[in-house]
Amino acid sequence: MKVKFLVVCMASFFAVSLPADEKSSHTLFDIKNKTFIEDNCQRCHNAKKKKGKFRVDNLSYKIDSNKTAGIWQKILNSLNAGEMPPEGKKQPEANAKADFLDALASTMVEARKKLSDQNGVITMRRLNRREYKNTLRELLGVEINVNELPADTESGFDTVGANLFMSSNQFEQYLALGEEALEEAFTWELEAGVNHKKRFEAEYLTKKYKKYVEKTLDKQKRSRAWIAKFDEAAGLPENKELYAALKKKHTWKNKVRDKWQELPGAPNPKDFGFKEVHQINSGENPYYLAYHQHYLTLPKAEEGAYISVPTVHPFMLPTGFVEFNTPSKWPPGNYLARVRIGAKQDAPFNRKVIEFGIDAPHGKVMSTHRITGTHEEPQIIEMPFTLTRKHKDRENRQIFIREKASDYHISHKRKFFNEEKKKNGLGPEFVVWIDWVEIERLPNDKRVTPPALKALGISLTDDKGLMRADLLKAFTKFTELAFRNKEVSEEYIEKIYKIYESRRKGGENHRDSLRYSLSIILSSPMFLYISEPLKDQQHKTLSGEEFAMRLSYFIWGAPADAELMSIAKSGKIYDHKVLAKQTERLLGDPRGEDFIHSFTYQWLGLDRLDFFQVDIKKYRTFDDSVKLAAKQEVYESVKHVLSNNLSMKNLLKADYVLANNVLADFYGIEGVKGDHFRKVKLLKNSPRGGLMGMTAVHLMGGNGIETSPVERGAWVLRKLFNTPPPPAPANVPMLSRLSDKVLTTRERQKAHQEDPQCRSCHRKIDPIGFGMENFDAVGLWREEDSYYPHDKKGREIKDKGKTWKIDPAGQLHRGQSFKNFFELRDIVASNTENFTKGFCEALVEYAMGRPTGVSDELLIESMLKDSKGYKMREIILSLVKSKQFRTK
Amino acid sequence: MNRRRFLQAGSAFVALPYFETFAAKQEKTTTPPKRMMFLAFGWGVTQQEWYPDQEDIGKDYKLPEMLKPLAKNKQDFTLIQNLWNKHSDGGHWGSTQWLTGANRYAQPGVSFSNSISVDQVAAEQFGMHTRFNSIQLNGSEKNVHASGHGPGLSLAWDKRGKPVGGQNSPFEAYHKLFSKGKTSIDELKKQLADKRSVLDVVLTNAKSLKRELGKVDKAKLEEYFSGIRDIELRLAKEEKWFDVPRPQASVDEPPKEIQGKNEIALMYDIMVAAIQTDSTRVLTYRQPVRTLLTSIGVTVHQHDMSHYHYSNNPKCEASKKRDLAQSELLNGMINKLKSTKDFDGSSLFDNTTVVYGSNLRYGHLLDNCPTIIAGGGSGVRMGEHMVMPKDTSLCNLWLTLLQGSGVKAESFSDSTGTLDEIKA
Repeated sequence: MKVKFLVVCMASFFAVSLPADEKSSHTLFDIKNKTFIEDNCQRCHNAKKKKGKFRVDNLSYKIDSNKTAGIWQKILNSLNAGEMPPEGKKQPEANAKADFLDALASTMVEARKKLSDQNGVITMRRLNRREYKNTLRELLGVEINVNELPADTESGFDTVGANLFMSSNQFEQYLALGEEALEEAFTWELEAGVNHKKRFEAEYLTKKYKKYVEKTLDKQKRSRAWIAKFDEAAGLPENKELYAALKKKHTWKNKVRDKWQELPGAPNPKDFGFKEVHQINSGENPYYLAYHQHYLTLPKAEEGAYISVPTVHPFMLPTGFVEFNTPSKWPPGNYLARVRIGAKQDAPFNRKVIEFGIDAPHGKVMSTHRITGTHEEPQIIEMPFTLTRKHKDRENRQIFIREKASDYHISHKRKFFNEEKKKNGLGPEFVVWIDWVEIERLPNDKRVTPPALKALGISLTDDKGLMRADLLKAFTKFTELAFRNKEVSEEYIEKIYKIYESRRKGGENHRDSLRYSLSIILSSPMFLYISEPLKDQQHKTLSGEEFAMRLSYFIWGAPADAELMSIAKSGKIYDHKVLAKQTERLLGDPRGEDFIHSFTYQWLGLDRLDFFQVDIKKYRTFDDSVKLAAKQEVYESVKHVLSNNLSMKNLLKADYVLANNVLADFYGIEGVKGDHFRKVKLLKNSPRGGLMGMTAVHLMGGNGIETSPVERGAWVLRKLFNTPPPPAPANVPMLSRLSDKVLTTRERQKAHQEDPQCRSCHRKIDPIGFGMENFDAVGLWREEDSYYPHDKKGREIKDKGKTWKIDPAGQLHRGQSFKNFFELRDIVASNTENFTKGFCEALVEYAMGRPTGVSDELLIESMLKDSKGYKMREIILSLVKSKQFRTK
Repeated sequence: MNRRRFLQAGSAFVALPYFETFAAKQEKTTTPPKRMMFLAFGWGVTQQEWYPDQEDIGKDYKLPEMLKPLAKNKQDFTLIQNLWNKHSDGGHWGSTQWLTGANRYAQPGVSFSNSISVDQVAAEQFGMHTRFNSIQLNGSEKNVHASGHGPGLSLAWDKRGKPVGGQNSPFEAYHKLFSKGKTSIDELKKQLADKRSVLDVVLTNAKSLKRELGKVDKAKLEEYFSGIRDIELRLAKEEKWFDVPRPQASVDEPPKEIQGKNEIALMYDIMVAAIQTDSTRVLTYRQPVRTLLTSIGVTVHQHDMSHYHYSNNPKCEASKKRDLAQSELLNGMINKLKSTKDFDGSSLFDNTTVVYGSNLRYGHLLDNCPTIIAGGGSGVRMGEHMVMPKDTSLCNLWLTLLQGSGVKAESFSDSTGTLDEIKA
């Protein structure tokens, strides 16, 4: 009863507040800009002359339609392109033009936004790629790769229904992926109890060393014997002239040997077991021989293996990693690799971290681990991983362990090797010792049957004794769950049954027929679309179940679990206290990570992180592990603010940093041990703490080689100040006169301020970017920067370069000035309200699945008001309690 | 030597017999059909060295440095300057509106909409004669933004302005076009019936859902319905073509994993094979750029590359290398078309229109879009450098090509007329 009352209450509320009122659906272009138009355009584009059939004397400054917007867009475009006023005519004063462009560009952004405002209407959407994957996981307990589905967003969030399309190709992909997920789930379920364990001794590598050293020595012996014979022949008096001529022709010693056939008496390489002379040349003094021999003298080499940097090709001797093959018969499931490992105690930190992954030559690093054990007292590190049905081939089942920083080691191995060789005459120290590795397929017996299979409730392999009614019931239960409690018609179930039946009659077994039939359910619209039926209403309050689903897709990107569903069904979900409690439970659940990752990634635009290859020659301490940790730092920092209900201000400036050992080492922060992220207190003058101190942010504000003050400044304006500059206009002429000049970054960027078209935005962007120049392209602190021109081959000309001290001082456009990065950060932090507002806008769009519009202003205001000092969790709670959030 | 190698080896292309069955099935005709191919690259070109001097027009123009790999075929393509889509405004959208000319703000209430692409207009008419109405191809790279094409699932957009998906690798394309199952016709018929009953099930569900929905959502669900309708049409067509055996491809099955320059070359082979066998007459290809760069040893970031400064620096070098590689590939395509015989003894080249270009010139510049036309399919004069009046609509070119290829069309998107001056 109470529920119904509430519904009525709210429904009447909407009539007044939801539809955006007429007044706010247009945008006014400030009438004071009329002077500029009159002064610069109207002489030709007036009622009389109508030059180019275009008039500006009758322009409407109220932009209320796409047509008016189109006219203003044309003006903006031709000014930006420098076409108007035409060459030879009087040009506007530069500052006036910049101001006009600034105002018009911002007005256009606002107008476009208002004109495409959906006035609170939420379009039904299909599950996006992420939600589709998560939903299958919740139903079937398995993760499948859905990358073949088209990516969901070009701009905005992946939850915005109007942008989520469906095509015929996609439908077929859903069928195939559904079957794949079901087969995976069937396999996991049927093999649930299987436990396998196998220990692999690492000294297989030592044996390889032995063999390889033996082979090398033998080859060396034969090489030297051949060379001795060759030299003997060369030394014969009758060959003197001939040999001298050969040497003259081929200045390179080894090339002369190649011509042995021209030298009478010279030995045939074949007699020494060689096909080609170059084998002899390389066999004479093998570069890494001493290093490889040294390995064999190491203590404990007989009982285990040392991993080091790559030397020769891994096909010959894989010195850089150890790998172990998971037996091919072991089924998909959760696995654990345990390694007994130790590192040389006094070795530098960087060399005491290992990377773990699958498929050494191509595989991605799955986790990194710091070694605390020693050669004398090794430790055991556990590394979990998952194998699916797709991990069939040998290379997909082969786990590896290698040293961290391997990127650099691999791409510049000679250089690194030589540097170390200079120190000790041998090469890089053998630091990491591995005793053995154990691979275990963990039994899943504790794992509960996934909900959808439980709902199905019939044998997956055997249909003995199954009657038609049993199957109908099974399909119904499965469908109800898959359709998120939508009502299922008998006709539909009957048709699914028919499919099953025809497959069985066609000779297919029960398991395959079942899988095929169920995959159709997983391709049906009630599964693929998150629908909130409206019928003829304009808006309605969501039913309890719909409300629960909206909440759980917001926070988990997945359907509601049993607990939330039962609260929804009872109607208690409308109670603010219960709702708050459930929201906090969802956020705290491991599935809540989906919100942290997916929202943060899209809100802060982290996709740019994967744009670039960092120049590891220039930034030697940067590698895959650091990149992984840098990305994680952003997530961990948001999570920290969220779970501790802290102010958003902590994301702008903080006296702590969230770091693990890898990141702390990269930042030069001491005393952080262990692979997990934790809060670390910062020294007073540290530039870290807050987004502007994070490597991820600086990395995005550059190209992996150099910094880009423009990218950084624009990012800060967009995300932190919440005053996004208009998108880079098309067709602005580029500056080319600066090419080849040796200039400081600041001199180069000053050019942006010359042309008014550029100045209108860059005067806002650039000062901020320069204030952050103390961070290099990977976010490490620096005092100096340099620039070198390039030669025709694209190489830097070292002696024509320029080095300068970075001057971060500047002034915000029409705003405060700052002497250095720290002062700039303070200015940004003092704008917490704007920052939080931007967060709220993003949150509303993400949660509701539609762009935020004018109609959301009140909602965002109330979220700010409820935030009790910009606290992140309060903001989320305020949103889920709002009437908009429970309204379709 | 396997056939593919042989095909690649030189200009001597195997002339496979034209499959009488197809011609017999659809139309008794002695003249070969017209075909259209659209090849698009994102991120533009190195403008200083890709375009000829605008004063230097006609047949004897000096071939710019970036087009040198096309030198031997200079008489067989035409470069047209000053074309653009006036509404396009995405600084990184090399392809989204290239073939549509749409204004993204045309529909009130949404921030992006598109309209039918020129290839689909042609496909509506040509498609009835072939197994596939049209074929849409894409690069195989995972990160679709990396090649500067902008939103879309391929170059093609259907008549509702929704993106049309396609095949994303030579392997997929090959199987779509030429895969021959060992299944008998009876078996095929059974499979078809199976597929139809699957569609019937999901439609049952879609209809129940539709009853419940509000107006906006009903429109959204329409996408699902039209997706299913597309499949139904395709199945109906499949049925019609059951008794016509799949043609023998003049290419071997491509490897599953291949990226970059070789991927594009292979895709070109498959495209030629597709029209040679008259499997389709309309193809689009949204070419990969990022993986092309990787395959020719360029590590510079693609977006940086398109913002090169014109001097000695890695960005500009990367941009030039890209241009040369792309020109070389196009040259290969022209060679292949010229040396492959159509059924009446003319070459495929004589009956095909190849459009090669992008909606993006350089940086964020969207005017004077790079545009090359090759082939005799639509009666455009070959071997010339033509300069249109500044800011001529690309849609005028599209309309000219449509009409030249025999498509009955009076206008296309925001066209204002045809470009009569380019006709032979």
